[in-house]
Amino acid sequence: MLDYVGLEADLDAEEQLIRDTAREFVEEEVRPDIGDHWIEGTFPTELIEEMGDLGFYAPNLDGYGLPDVSETAYGLLMQELEACDSGLRSMASVQGALVMYPIHAYGSEAQKDRLLEDMGRGETIGCFGLTEPSHGSNPSAMETHAEADDDGYVLNGTKTWITNSPLADVALVWARDRSDPDEPVRGFLVETDRDGVETPKLEEKLSLRASVTGQIELSDVHVPEENVLPGVEGMKGPLSCLTQARFGIAWGAVGAARDCFETAREYATDRDQFGKPIASYQLQQEKLAEMATQITTAQLLVYRLTELKERGDLRPEQVSMAKRNNVRTARDQSRIAREMLGGNGITADYSPMRHMANMETVYTYEGTHDIHSLIIGHDLTGIPAFE
Amino acid sequence: MSTKILVTVKEVAEVDDEFEISGLDIDDRYLEYDLNEWDDYAVEEAVQLSEAGDDVEVVTVTLGPERSEETIRMALAKGADRAVRVWDDALADAGLLDATTKADLLAAVVESEEPDLVLTGVQAADDSFGATGVALAERVGFEWAAVVNDLDYDADANVSSVRRELEGGVEELTDVEGPAVLTIQTGINEPRYASLRGIRQAQRKPLDVHALDDLGLDESVVDSPVDLTSMYEPESEGDAVVWEGSPDETADELATFLREQGVVEG
Repeated sequence: MLDYVGLEADLDAEEQLIRDTAREFVEEEVRPDIGDHWIEGTFPTELIEEMGDLGFYAPNLDGYGLPDVSETAYGLLMQELEACDSGLRSMASVQGALVMYPIHAYGSEAQKDRLLEDMGRGETIGCFGLTEPSHGSNPSAMETHAEADDDGYVLNGTKTWITNSPLADVALVWARDRSDPDEPVRGFLVETDRDGVETPKLEEKLSLRASVTGQIELSDVHVPEENVLPGVEGMKGPLSCLTQARFGIAWGAVGAARDCFETAREYATDRDQFGKPIASYQLQQEKLAEMATQITTAQLLVYRLTELKERGDLRPEQVSMAKRNNVRTARDQSRIAREMLGGNGITADYSPMRHMANMETVYTYEGTHDIHSLIIGHDLTGIPAFE
Repeated sequence: MSTKILVTVKEVAEVDDEFEISGLDIDDRYLEYDLNEWDDYAVEEAVQLSEAGDDVEVVTVTLGPERSEETIRMALAKGADRAVRVWDDALADAGLLDATTKADLLAAVVESEEPDLVLTGVQAADDSFGATGVALAERVGFEWAAVVNDLDYDADANVSSVRRELEGGVEELTDVEGPAVLTIQTGINEPRYASLRGIRQAQRKPLDVHALDDLGLDESVVDSPVDLTSMYEPESEGDAVVWEGSPDETADELATFLREQGVVEG
C-alpha cells in the first residue's frame, strides 16, 4: 500500500501487527465476497461476531475486556477496514464510536457491565439514533421526545438513516426530555424488542450497499429510568460521539483512497495498449502522481490528528477539517482510479467504482462536507453561519 | 500434572512476483518476511491443546535474527505463552543452515526445556528441506510422526494418536508415545487471526534470546557437508496459457486451442 513518506515505518511493533492482522483478515475473509454483498445490498453478518472476537469494536477504550490500543492502532484498523469497503468500517464505527463510546463515557456502571463486554464481542449489536426525517444537518431541532412516567420514560418519534438499525439489539436514541422545562437532549438505551419499536430497512440505496440502513420508529415506547445515560445532557452527548466516529472516518477514507490507487497502479502497469503498458503514458502518470500526492497529504493530516488525540489536545474543528478533506480526497481520487480502469472499471470485479459510490454516503453522513466547511468557518471567524 | 509443548516457529522469506538474484540469494528488496504457513498450523494445534487442557504451557522456539521477533510476537499473540529465540554471529555468518545444524540447535533447546511434546511444521515455505523436525527427533531420541493431519493428544499418558498423510492418498493411524516430535501438515485445523487483545498481551510475554554459548554449543555446529553453490532461475521450457472465466466461456477457447495445436481433429 502506498506510503510515500514512510509514515508506517515509524509505527511500533504492536501497531504494525494490528495493521497486518486487520489487512490479512480483510483480504482473506471479506474481500473475496464484498462485491457480491454490495450488489445484493447485504452486510456479511457472519463476520459481526468474528470481528468482535478479534477486538475490532472500540479497541481504543479500556476495561470491560476491551483491548485499549493506541489511537494510531485504532486509526490503522479503520483504514484497513475501509480499504475493503466503507460498509465494513461503518459497522465498526457505529458499534464502537457511536454506541460503545457514549456508554463508556456517560453510562452508569450497570449499563457498562450489561452492555460493553457483549458489544465488544459482537454478541449485542448497537445502533445510533440521531438523524430524523426532517432534521439532518440540524439535529438540535429533533422532534423525538421523552415524557416521564411512573418508573421511567415514554418515547415517541422517528429516526432515519440509521446504520444497522434492522440488525440492532439496542438503539441509543437521542431525544428531548419534555419532563424537564429546558427540554434537554438525553440519551436513551432502547432495546429493539420493546413494544412500540419498529426498525424497517431502507431499500434501494445506490451507495454504501454492503451496509444495512434503516429507521427507528418509536410509538409510546416505555423504557425504565435505568436506561437513560446519566452522564450527559444536551447536544454535547451526540456531538462528542460524532467527533470519535469522524476521527475513524478520516482514517478510513485514506484506506479507501489507497485501495483505489493500488488498483489503478496495478492495472496501469499490466494493461497494454498501443504496444506498451498504459502506465507509460504521461496522461496516466500524471493521474497517479496527483492521486499519490493527495493521498499522502490526507495521510499526514490523520497522523498529526492522532498525535493530538493521543495527548488530549484534539479539537472537534480539527476533526471536521480532516473528515472534510480526506473524504473529498477519496471521493475525487476514486473517480480518477475508475477512469484509469477504462470499461473494466465499471464492473464489480474492481473496487474503485464501489468505493466511489460509497464515498457519496461518507461525504454526506456524520456531518456533510458543507456543514464541516461551516464548522471550520465558524472556528476561523468566530461567526456562526448556521445560526 | 503440567504439560509443556514446544513449537518450532520459523520466519520465512516470501518472494515478490518479480525479483532479482544477488549472489547466492534473492535480493532483499524483493523479500517480505512472514510466519511459516506450516508453523502457523503447529502453533494453532498447540494453543488448542492448551485451551482444552489444564496447565499446558506453549513455548515457541525460533532460529533467527532480531527481525524475526515480529513473527515470534505474532505466534505469542495467537496464544503461545513465551518464546525462545536462538541467534549468534556465527549463525549469521554461516549463510545456509542445513537441517542437521538446525536439529542440533533445536536439540539444545529441547534439552533445556524438556517438553512433553514438540510440534514443528512439515516444512518451511522458503528452503523446503522438510527434514528438520524428524532430524530433531533423531538427535534427542524422541519418537516421531511426520505429516500429521489429525491429532488426539492424551496428556496423562503422553500419547499422541495421529493420522498421517502418506503418498498416493493413503493415510495411516498410529499412536506415538511421548516425548515425541510431530511434524504438522496444513489443514489439520484452521489457524486463528491474532486478536487485538492477544497482540497487546504478546508485547508483555517473555521472549528470551540465546547465543550458542548459552546453549553449550560452539561454532562447529554450523559445519555442514551441504554448500549452497549457486542460485538461478530455471529457463521455462514452455508457456502456460490460462483462460479466465466460467467453464462455458473457456471450453470453447480450449477446444479451439487444442484443434489449432493438432491435439484433436475436426
